[in-house]
Amino acid sequence: MSKFDIFKNGVTKENPILAQQVGMCATLAITTSLINGVGMGVAVIAVLTGSNIVISALRKFIPDEVRIPAFVIIIAAFTTIIDLVMHAYTFELYQALGVFIPLIVVNCIILARAEAFAFSNGVLDSAIDGLGMGVGYLVAMILLSSIREILGNGTILGFSILPESYEPMMMAVQPPGAFILLGLLIGLVNYLSNRKNRKKA
Amino acid sequence: MKNNYVRLGGILFIIAAISAGILAWLNGATSDLIAKNEAMASMDPAVLEAVMPGAVMFNEYEDTALVDKIKSENDKFVDLLTAVDASDNQLGNVVRTWSTVSGYGGDMELFVGVSTEGKITGVNVVTHSETSGLGSRTTEPEFWSQFVGKDAGEGITDFDAISGVTKSSNSFLSAVNNAISIYSEYLK
Repeated sequence: MSKFDIFKNGVTKENPILAQQVGMCATLAITTSLINGVGMGVAVIAVLTGSNIVISALRKFIPDEVRIPAFVIIIAAFTTIIDLVMHAYTFELYQALGVFIPLIVVNCIILARAEAFAFSNGVLDSAIDGLGMGVGYLVAMILLSSIREILGNGTILGFSILPESYEPMMMAVQPPGAFILLGLLIGLVNYLSNRKNRKKA
Repeated sequence: MKNNYVRLGGILFIIAAISAGILAWLNGATSDLIAKNEAMASMDPAVLEAVMPGAVMFNEYEDTALVDKIKSENDKFVDLLTAVDASDNQLGNVVRTWSTVSGYGGDMELFVGVSTEGKITGVNVVTHSETSGLGSRTTEPEFWSQFVGKDAGEGITDFDAISGVTKSSNSFLSAVNNAISIYSEYLK
């Protein structure tokens, strides 16, 4: 697999949200506005890429028997780093994302990439894999949070884009709306990719 | 077999110790900024704006020895703060003080802002026990705005008390005057 294929794999075929559907809890909870979605996406990219790099660099040093606790320590360390940095430098975003920053620790995509990719691949490939998966996560977050902010608030990044007469659809920014819209989004993505595959065949 | 467990534990220990070391360093590097962010978030922007227009934060006054000295000499004084704007410029000082004359329900506690030019910039009631709808009207800008722009160099004697609320008005004035006397005695 070429470097670019590794990257593309995370964005499209194995997209963490739209294809693998892991880490749904934070996804559904914080995608109420685009800025939150982007902030969460960037935080996940940082943790995922960082932990992938360190774990692949240490893969000869970490014994098989204790690899899971070792992964968890490394992932938790990166999550805490992001937590502290965001708390210090992007305070408003930190407050908006709240408990979901520390909860990146238990986002299964990160442990899954450590186990499935970083522990058996080189540092550069693992970095690209983390970046690709992270960007895939970010893209899905941007899609879902834009849709929810526009429908539920009539704004994008805080700017009004819909006419005054638009009555915001409150449900879109509430949890039930998150489930429905994510379902529709995944359905749409599947429909489009199936159609593309069928054309090829 | 036993040795193997020691080895596994040792490796985990090393990973954990290095992680802890990095985090301890980062925590030290960011803790000041985080404390500042939290302090800013805890202040009500409306209070900041009323006491010192343009202020985003009240910091502790730098000269803590002076603050302790005022505390020991003026028993109504609570705290002295420095108001700063978004780019950390000092806008003036804020005296937090109790009234020296009791109102209808006891003493009132006020923030009194004094600009670097020595003018009162605003007053905000922190706590009071005055009658709701009567004495509580001293917390409204219609009443306290008459003090804005007054020279903080000398005590105020002439002011418009709210009619029917003389006792609360006088208590409020005494707190403002206490702030003025602290300003002219220690800060001028």
